[in-house]
Amino acid sequence: MSLFGTTSGFGTSGTSMFGSATTDNHNPMKDIEVTSSPDDSIGCLSFSPPTLPGNFLIAGSWANDVRCWEVQDSGQTIPKAQQMHTGPVLDVCWSDDGSKVFTASCDKTAKMWDLSSNQAIQIAQFWDTRSSNPMMVLQLPERCYCADVIYPMAVVATAERGLIVYQLENQPSEFRRIESPLKHQHRCVAIFKDKQNKPTGFALGSIEGRVAIHYINPPNPAKDNFTFKCHRSNGTNTSAPQDIYAVNGIAFHPVHGTLATVGSDGRFSFWDKDARTKLKTSEQLDQPISACCFNHNGNIFAYASSYDWSKGHEFYNPQKKNYIFLRNAAEELKPRNKK
Amino acid sequence: MAICQFFLQGRCRFGDRCWNEHPGARGAGGGRQQPQQQPSGNNRRGWNTTSQRYSNVIQPSSFSKSTPWGGSRDQEKPYFSSFDSGASTNRKEGFGLSENPFASLSPDEQKDEKKLLEGIVKDMEVWESSGQWMFSVYSPVKKKPNISGFTDISPEELRLEYHNFLTSNNLQSYLNSVQRLINQWRNRVNELKSLNISTKLSDVKDGVNQAAPAFGFGSSQAATFMSPGFPVNNSSSDNAQNFSFKTNSGFAAASSGSPAGFGSSPAFGAAASTSSGISTSAPAFGFGKPEVTSAASFSFKSPAASSFGSPGFSGLPASLATGPVRAPVAPAFGGGSSVAGFGSPGSHSHTAFSKPSSDTFGNSSISTSLSASSSIIATDNVLFTPRDKLTVEELEQFQSKKFTLGKIPLKPPPLELLNV
Repeated sequence: MSLFGTTSGFGTSGTSMFGSATTDNHNPMKDIEVTSSPDDSIGCLSFSPPTLPGNFLIAGSWANDVRCWEVQDSGQTIPKAQQMHTGPVLDVCWSDDGSKVFTASCDKTAKMWDLSSNQAIQIAQFWDTRSSNPMMVLQLPERCYCADVIYPMAVVATAERGLIVYQLENQPSEFRRIESPLKHQHRCVAIFKDKQNKPTGFALGSIEGRVAIHYINPPNPAKDNFTFKCHRSNGTNTSAPQDIYAVNGIAFHPVHGTLATVGSDGRFSFWDKDARTKLKTSEQLDQPISACCFNHNGNIFAYASSYDWSKGHEFYNPQKKNYIFLRNAAEELKPRNKK
Repeated sequence: MAICQFFLQGRCRFGDRCWNEHPGARGAGGGRQQPQQQPSGNNRRGWNTTSQRYSNVIQPSSFSKSTPWGGSRDQEKPYFSSFDSGASTNRKEGFGLSENPFASLSPDEQKDEKKLLEGIVKDMEVWESSGQWMFSVYSPVKKKPNISGFTDISPEELRLEYHNFLTSNNLQSYLNSVQRLINQWRNRVNELKSLNISTKLSDVKDGVNQAAPAFGFGSSQAATFMSPGFPVNNSSSDNAQNFSFKTNSGFAAASSGSPAGFGSSPAFGAAASTSSGISTSAPAFGFGKPEVTSAASFSFKSPAASSFGSPGFSGLPASLATGPVRAPVAPAFGGGSSVAGFGSPGSHSHTAFSKPSSDTFGNSSISTSLSASSSIIATDNVLFTPRDKLTVEELEQFQSKKFTLGKIPLKPPPLELLNV
């Protein structure tokens, strides 16, 4: 029985009814498929914070809906609830106490969804949820393409290669504008923490198959900050022109500090930024991977396989199924020991 | 960190930029590094200190175990060879970069610029062949402002446009606009690919601004020189559908009316965008007439004209404009006007240049402001409209501070209105 109506559940294990077809490559990594995945491209994924017992996954999609699943330790996913917007949902996140979910959509609204009462009310901008007026409005110089927050730091990457870091203590204010370490359009950003669990830098991904690791106050910027290439077709073969894919999402493992990147090429990769090595690259899925997320303890890595518009409307197939896969991330993301 | 063997032998080429450890040299190197980390607005050498991250081909590979990144470094080579060689003269001085920052500037400067050009050309080639997302701004050196002629559109924005048009049953316009965008991008890339030392100054400096508009007019498709952009911020979504672009011209839209944040198309928009205080790339998705031929096939392959995006390089290398976030149009314009010779409402000046076909502009001689203006003046009956030939409305448009959407004149401005 599907909670979400029209879509039929595909079963909780990776061996769905399509699994036997040799040409079908929608789940080459044989990861767990989430049941009742959204009908259109998934724009964002977010797991519940540690304050909530259990694991709940929220996904926002271009079908204007926000869906919530409970993910059990066995890997079983149970659809729990759904909310609608009037436009595609571009980003979702949880409140710290795990009781509310914030969703932002192209219909120019942001909503706060109270899970216990299943009510969603509209809010927007920078909110103190106790009042109904914006607590603060921060003007951005350009369109915001991606942002990440780990208190007390927030990073916003905008169009025209803009990059702003905010400090959120007391009155949130702009901390620094950084010149972009990348040469092309920014696509995604994720903050990482240092050994003392304080946010200390961020990883920035671009459309050009490259991720930049940038520390806010490094002892030695020239050496500490670096970029690396990823999501490209040929490894070291320089003779043939390689295909370059956008990095759609970056997520840091909450425990190990290693990171995962997902790209338009339909692969995900795990990296250790301190050892500057790649830990793993997945097989290629038949669709781009548009979003990714770790759960609060780092055991589950969720990634969404759906079209990200990287090749324009021509390659958009509304009939194609969109998937969210869950992978056990406890082992594969252990950092490489530095020599 | 690994101890640098070369340093131990007294012959490390990277000095304090070396990724390996130089025992005993830490303090000295670290201290001197500091000044170089300033925003490299005025200090061209500033690139070099941070260029190490790109100059990884030459690195003695202590990262040999990290093959994927090591491998990728090889590919970095063509892009960043400019920095390597530019910096190489400094490396010979040992920890040198900061010791004599301005010593041999001129020969280096030229070499650096040459390498930069090569880098740009190479990047363009890769961009075209790799199938990567084309609606992105670009800057050849990470600290530099964006090269003009490129606009930033995220895949989500494009998709949203698609959905909006779908619901309004206006898919054809979407297709046309996208096609035009692609064409413009392609033209711009081709233009940048054919950069060489003589055109470089103009192009990369300010000429880039001018080259951009050239496409608007010169484009054989007579496509409307659009400044595609998506009404993200404030409300221009309503306006999006109402833009009517005249067919032949190119003064793409969205200049004045645009909401904060989107100046419109490059050169022209520049004037307008100062008001919004933001670099370029107009939000409104203008769709002119579907006279653009191959509308239906949005293939990311077809050729054409591009150009929008912030007037990038004002003055390479000496004065790197402030960070890309601001890309304040002002400096670019300061540059722009000097080259154009027709200062202020810069938009006017660019039209002058754009009249002749894009080819002559793309490749030729906008090398200095002088030569530019002289060539312009020579052909000024083509480039400028005599005042009496303008309608009242057009004249009014030229005289006003910015263009009003929908009223942008098709003809170039009269010479008298341009501030020389």
